[in-house]
Amino acid sequence: MKKTLYFLLVFTFGLSSCEKDDICDANTATTPRLIISFYDIKTPSVKQNVTRLKVVGKDQPEGIIFNEGGTDVTKYLTSGDSIAIPLKTNEDSTTFSFILNSDNPNPQLANTDEITFNYSRQNVYVSRACGFKTIYKLNTQIPFVKTDSGTDGIWMQDVRVNNPNIEFENETHVKIYF
Amino acid sequence: MSKYIFSICLLFTVFLIQAQEIATDTVKKEIRKTKPKTTVQTAETITDSVPVKKDRYGLRVGVDLYKLTRGFYDKDYKGIEFVGDFRLTKKYYIAAELGIEDKTTDDDRLNSTATGTYIKGGFDYNMYNNWLDMENLITVGLRGGFSTFSQELNSYKIYNPDQYWGEIPVNTDGAKYTGLTAAWAEVAVGMKAKVFNNVFVGFGVQLKLLLANKDPDGFENLYIPGFNRTYDGSFGVGFNYTVSYFIPLYKKQVIIPEAEKKAPKK
Repeated sequence: MKKTLYFLLVFTFGLSSCEKDDICDANTATTPRLIISFYDIKTPSVKQNVTRLKVVGKDQPEGIIFNEGGTDVTKYLTSGDSIAIPLKTNEDSTTFSFILNSDNPNPQLANTDEITFNYSRQNVYVSRACGFKTIYKLNTQIPFVKTDSGTDGIWMQDVRVNNPNIEFENETHVKIYF
Repeated sequence: MSKYIFSICLLFTVFLIQAQEIATDTVKKEIRKTKPKTTVQTAETITDSVPVKKDRYGLRVGVDLYKLTRGFYDKDYKGIEFVGDFRLTKKYYIAAELGIEDKTTDDDRLNSTATGTYIKGGFDYNMYNNWLDMENLITVGLRGGFSTFSQELNSYKIYNPDQYWGEIPVNTDGAKYTGLTAAWAEVAVGMKAKVFNNVFVGFGVQLKLLLANKDPDGFENLYIPGFNRTYDGSFGVGFNYTVSYFIPLYKKQVIIPEAEKKAPKK
């Protein structure tokens, strides 16, 4: 009788100890980033690498980190043909500055364009551990506004929406031709 | 999960060993008492020498003290559970639990409140062999459970792996989901001991398997009254600590198998 009592006690304590064991798995699809791919304006079907592009969110002191292992300067730069940038989850528009040749010693060669993305948001339940995620839909009327900041001209010759539904990160949402 | 299964197996082995020990003990006693008599006297007197043992049958009603007292120290919980069982045969009892719960679950990213009532019904099998007029129980049983409840999402956080725009404020525009139901089956293991007169104290653990669960649109049932916290699979666990009162209704004479065998020989 006593033995049983102890076993039952141990059993119940054993159960209570495995209560908080859930962590949001990194592979879970949560809030997606905006995927932008760069294309050649002369041959629009061919992807083209950008040169030392830096993307800075409006009113943010630092750029978006593209290269975790880089130095204080190079970690904000990318020379690839696509980027993933985070949109604000608590506002319906986000503005970014796209600075091409950003670390060029000759500041004349750096070219900054600004894009404001306009979208609607939806909060979707994921799981107990992950909570909710935000998915976006670019506005159909004015999905983005492109402006030249300064007088250096526009380096993005064309910007097109490829997929207005920003739900996953495995597809291109916006294409930029230059 | 294998951990639980192992613990349960351990639990059952203990029950088995104990049950057998006690059983052999009583049999030995019986034989010792009766054997010398059979050699000297006739079988007729043997049946007379066995004292008449009567089992009491009736209804036992009680309350779960764990749920009742939890409301005093846990501000996120209010609940009560009534328990009852009725003795059908020597070993079998019909058992039922009826409860109401109001539980706020505070996870890292979600805060929700589940409120509702539940009913569980089934049977208990007493594996404990009592001596003389003892009325203790070590039971295994099965239950079917059903709950009807509502769930309110109080606040939630957006999970964003990219922290570029800083920490996102907590959202409090959650909704209330009503008309939710769930059904489950459970294996209940427990014990009850008579402390004085007709008052019993007992505790038990339950392993639950969710059979049907109506999740709200765009959310999930994180806590089901009676079933408790939901896990990724459909398993759940429960615990109760009861105090109950036995209302005796009638008595039945206990037939001792040893005496029964001897009697027809005469």
